[in-house]
Amino acid sequence: MHSILKTSLAALVAAGITASSAAADAHGLSGELNIISDMSNPAPRAVMEGLAADFDALHPNLEVNLTIVDREAWKTQIRNALGANPPDVVNWYAANRMRPYVDAGLFADISDLWAEPEFEALASTKGAMTLDGAQWGVPYTYYQWGVYYRKDIFDQYGLSEPTNWEEELANCQTLLDNGVKCYTIGTKFLWTAGGWFDYINSRTNGYDFHMALARGEVEWTDDRVRQTFANWRQLIDMGAFIDDHQTYSWQEALPFMVNGEAAAYLMGNFAVAAMRDGGLTDDQLDFYQFPMINPDVDYAEDAPTDTFHIASGAQNMDAAKEFLRYVTSAEVQTAINGGDALGQLPVNANASIDADKFLEQGFDMLSNNAGGGIMQFFDRDFDAEMASVGMEGLQEFMVFPDNLDDILMRLEETRQRIYN
Amino acid sequence: MFPTPIAKTSRTWQISYQALLPVMLIIWLLPLIAVANFSIKPESDFVNGNYWGIPSSFEAFSNYGRVFFESNMPRYLWNSLFITIPTVIGAVALSAMAGFALGVYKFKGNLLLFFIFIAGNFVPFQILMVPVRDLTLSLNLYDTKTGLVLFHIAFQTGFCTLFMRNFIRALPFPLIEAARVEGIAEWRIFLFVVLPLMKPALAALAVLIFTFIWNDYFWAVVLTQGPDAQPVTAGITEFNSQYRAAYHLMSAGSIVAALPPVAMFFLMQKHFIAGLTLGAVK
Repeated sequence: MHSILKTSLAALVAAGITASSAAADAHGLSGELNIISDMSNPAPRAVMEGLAADFDALHPNLEVNLTIVDREAWKTQIRNALGANPPDVVNWYAANRMRPYVDAGLFADISDLWAEPEFEALASTKGAMTLDGAQWGVPYTYYQWGVYYRKDIFDQYGLSEPTNWEEELANCQTLLDNGVKCYTIGTKFLWTAGGWFDYINSRTNGYDFHMALARGEVEWTDDRVRQTFANWRQLIDMGAFIDDHQTYSWQEALPFMVNGEAAAYLMGNFAVAAMRDGGLTDDQLDFYQFPMINPDVDYAEDAPTDTFHIASGAQNMDAAKEFLRYVTSAEVQTAINGGDALGQLPVNANASIDADKFLEQGFDMLSNNAGGGIMQFFDRDFDAEMASVGMEGLQEFMVFPDNLDDILMRLEETRQRIYN
Repeated sequence: MFPTPIAKTSRTWQISYQALLPVMLIIWLLPLIAVANFSIKPESDFVNGNYWGIPSSFEAFSNYGRVFFESNMPRYLWNSLFITIPTVIGAVALSAMAGFALGVYKFKGNLLLFFIFIAGNFVPFQILMVPVRDLTLSLNLYDTKTGLVLFHIAFQTGFCTLFMRNFIRALPFPLIEAARVEGIAEWRIFLFVVLPLMKPALAALAVLIFTFIWNDYFWAVVLTQGPDAQPVTAGITEFNSQYRAAYHLMSAGSIVAALPPVAMFFLMQKHFIAGLTLGAVK
């Protein structure tokens, strides 16, 4: 039955692709399209190679050349690659990570693409693709962050998913009274603490404030930032987080949740695969959106987005734009984000997703309940240097909350040095 | 200078020695034992926090199977071989010739030249990182096996020459003089008189260089990227996916990567130990 469904879905996708190809052929793309991709891990690599081959097949007169570069190496190579003899299309990341290349004029402005009606389906990430009032790329995949929790433990103590901060604190107190930690976390590599800050800050002060802070427009010593840390400290003072979390990586913090010593984990959706490997069933595991703190601000969500961009020096602009239309179409986004491909969420709101309760909840949350905006995660939204100093500060705060003044002063000094 | 042989010590000391030895050995080998243990665990053991315990299921076949059939490991192993063997041949050949020249001929600056070879060994290779990377980049050798081989040959030849020169010095010089009296050309003396005598040194050096180069991680990371050119030491990190580290596969991969030099050591143990002392004792 499952395979029949799959086949018919594939047929549908194929039909959709043929339909859009008929329209595209009218443009008569020709020449070469050079793509450099950083999708170097096995499954993403297969996806990218499939995309290039399919696009090549759709346009008989067009030759698609695909180069796949190691994902980590690409982070240092992209500037070189865009500078001399640039390709047409490259992979990168949304939001502030685009800033250096936009400022240097290396990414092409594709606001005209975003003005097309089809792009309204990508509205959830439009903000993340916008810098200086223009759009500079298109998203092809993202994944949600949120609280993954042990439903069986919640049921045992009669708890329900919290929707606001009071419920959250009450839940946590009940768990602690029963000897279960509320949250597991491993801050050895710092970034996990960044997720907590993203959520508490955006729930306390709103998306716009959070992004202004990320852009260096607000002082770290601002009272609103202090309010964020005060909220966070409520959890820390309760002992909500596992002990000695600064010695664990995110993976090494998983056993606490799998063994029932901690009830929940604020993490990206990639954690689900690991938790299932650890033996947790979908009956034991569930997901909820990070609860509201300040009722006056809308939900903003962390959803790191991977993107395609056109180099400003692209030789074949028409083909590059057509490729961007192609990868953002609902059919293609459905196909490449499926469980047998990337296993993440399509950005196109008209795309469909695999029958997986976490993907379904995440897709619904990001498409319908993230009115505040989509954050890209602490280390992508903040300037790279600010992020690294910042995350050290966040980790220190989680271990020694009394050092807050000291930490904020340090972050503020860094902000002034970097942004002024 | 040497400690008293254990056979000549008191019985109590012998017993405590025999009791302590296995304990020390296990402590000493603990990291390796852990890696071997990790390599036969299922992935779920890492999520459950069962790091040191008995594997919950025996997964050696599937782990090693995935290393060999579902990853780039075989390619990385071939790369290692294609990097190591040419380097061994190149470094040993060059240093044998350089050692012959420095050991046999008396010319001005002989000693100075020799000292330069030795001094090269004292340069910490980390400080060469940036210039060497730039050099290979501008020679279009970045991310190629050739680039890595050429660099390794250049860098290993210094040590090898020191080794060879001292070995040739220790050969009976009258042999070479006798050949000269017979009117044999110098290159034939090298080829037919000296080289056969150098066999133990050549073997020892080849084994030593093989393990050095095979185990090299630093230059592999600096000068190559991706499965086209990277040797196995650097390629193992491929088991780290974007989000998760596959400890079980990385451990299995490490064991596989460590086998060739270990096998080399046991097969050529005699030469290996000779190699460590040959150049040092004159």
